Amino acid sequence: MTTAARPSPIAWLIAPAGLLFVLFFVLPFAVMTAMSFYSGNPVTNPNAFLTTRHYERFIFDTAGIFHEALWSTLRIGLITTVVSLLIGYPLAHWMARMQSRLGHALVLMAVIAPMLTGIVVRTFAWMTILQDKGVINTTLIQWGLIEKPLPLMYNEFGTIVALVHIYVPFMVLTLTGVIGRIDERLEQAARSLGAGRLRAFVEVTLPLSLPGILAGSLLVFALSISAYVTPSLMGGTDVLTLPMLIAQQVGTSFNPNFAGALGVILLLVSLAIVVAYNRILARLAGGQGMA
Amino acid sequence: MISRRKALRAGAGLAALATVGAPSILHAQTKTLKITTWGGKWGEVMKATVLPAFEKEFKCTVSADQAFPFLPKLQVSSKNDPIYDVLHANSNEQWNAVVEGLVMDKITAKEVPNIADVYPYAVSDKIVGVTIFTSAIGLGYRTDKGLTKPTSWKDLADPKLAGSRGGYLIPVNSLGQAHLMMLGKVYGKGLTDLDAAYKALEALKPIKLVDFTGQMEKMLLSGEVSMGVIHDSGVYRYEGPNMQPVDFASPSEGVLALEQVLNVTPGSKVKELAFGYIDYMLRPDVQKLLAEAVWYSPANKKVKLAAKYDAKLLTTPEKVAALIQPDWKWYNARREDIDARVTKILKG
Repeated sequence: MTTAARPSPIAWLIAPAGLLFVLFFVLPFAVMTAMSFYSGNPVTNPNAFLTTRHYERFIFDTAGIFHEALWSTLRIGLITTVVSLLIGYPLAHWMARMQSRLGHALVLMAVIAPMLTGIVVRTFAWMTILQDKGVINTTLIQWGLIEKPLPLMYNEFGTIVALVHIYVPFMVLTLTGVIGRIDERLEQAARSLGAGRLRAFVEVTLPLSLPGILAGSLLVFALSISAYVTPSLMGGTDVLTLPMLIAQQVGTSFNPNFAGALGVILLLVSLAIVVAYNRILARLAGGQGMA
Repeated sequence: MISRRKALRAGAGLAALATVGAPSILHAQTKTLKITTWGGKWGEVMKATVLPAFEKEFKCTVSADQAFPFLPKLQVSSKNDPIYDVLHANSNEQWNAVVEGLVMDKITAKEVPNIADVYPYAVSDKIVGVTIFTSAIGLGYRTDKGLTKPTSWKDLADPKLAGSRGGYLIPVNSLGQAHLMMLGKVYGKGLTDLDAAYKALEALKPIKLVDFTGQMEKMLLSGEVSMGVIHDSGVYRYEGPNMQPVDFASPSEGVLALEQVLNVTPGSKVKELAFGYIDYMLRPDVQKLLAEAVWYSPANKKVKLAAKYDAKLLTTPEKVAALIQPDWKWYNARREDIDARVTKILKG
């Protein structure tokens, strides 16, 4: 054996991750895609045949709920991403520029702390705050400010509030790293050349932090369009997203094939959005692709 | 030639292997029964008392899966070597399973002798497998909100209850599905009158919908809903020190049956044991123990419950007569259309 044929040590280090990726993403996804083109389970049911009917069912949507479910999944994902960005960016900027090490550590703790609690627990906490007999409504009624409870949950609003709370830390952590690496002197140079604070930020810091914005938004978007627990607990009947439909197809309609088709559709649509978003941001940043 | 040291090492290795292998040989001699069962209080009693006694008497081990949903797992396991021998599920799921050939379509007193003692509903033509317990689906309500005890399913439509009435996400909950059929019966020509049911459902808006019964219990207890569709055991279990201002009402049009059904998988390798388990679960002493633990009405006619349970549960032929059993085969066949329709009605 020659030394050249030996795989590099890095390859060995990557191997576990690669294996995990193949075993727990590529393989299941391939099985799911294959299943989505069958009428039943070809392994246990010899009568299962190849068909495109699950895709047709979605595309023609005679039931009139699937397109709406896809749209509301994407809408919730987009709004959650934008709101997380608006909340997360100033916080990340402040953290990245903080001089005090102790202050930085404390803020970092505050950002990470909610992540130490499970999503289900955090969602239930939101329920006790937002429901009709929850903290907010009871207080407002007691103070005589409102007579009937405000519709704070069992709708898209409540769902987005809870999702934003869960995903803001992902945005902040991604952005802090990127903003922290931007040389502060560039902004100072812009200001010494006569730019105001705002102009220096818009023309220098913001464009340089675009890679962080892209990564953070993609992360939050991907997580929120695939969220299941929060929309199903907070959404009531007003919210029906694709992950909820998929769980319904597997768990109570016992139709894993249609569920597979819905999974493939969700992935394709979100991939298309990610590619488009990447292109637009790359153009804004001066023609380079960033992800 | 093998050296002494090598021979010793090989001998030690063999001995070690034999020790490791022994339990598995023993294990192969005891049969294992693979079942599904609920969690919560039911699961506690099963694991602490019912199953150990069964294992001892039938000289077997029982492996019980409590991680719902069970049917998708059964769907992907081999029919000749299924993941479960006995499927414990509600009636609508058993009907889904039988259509796919995952469970047996009929079990008689020949295989399970205690079937001779069950009420007719337990093995009626609306059941595949054997019902071991049932609950009654009716209306749960708060007793501290100035509401009169409901007497009809129509009382849920009282305008006073707008926004504080509770129901289920029909596509994912069988109580919601049964209630939809009941609306057809109460407001239309019968359980299969879907048009009347849809209209009546529309009239129940605004309604708070949940996906599982535990959530409905929570909403009733917190006062988030004042009246909602629920099974009797979900209300009766809050007694004694856990007493809450909630009560259960059986509407005059009848209560819906929420059956706990056991069935055997056709490919089970331990069918005799599986039938033995169902027979065991129908024994009066086992039925009494479980019924009084979770407030389920026993299917065996010969069970004598303590007075407080007897007063509330369905333990006489007259009380059992109030049970209405939906035709799940009919419902499941139309399920996709119904799901789409009710989703649209209840959205927004």
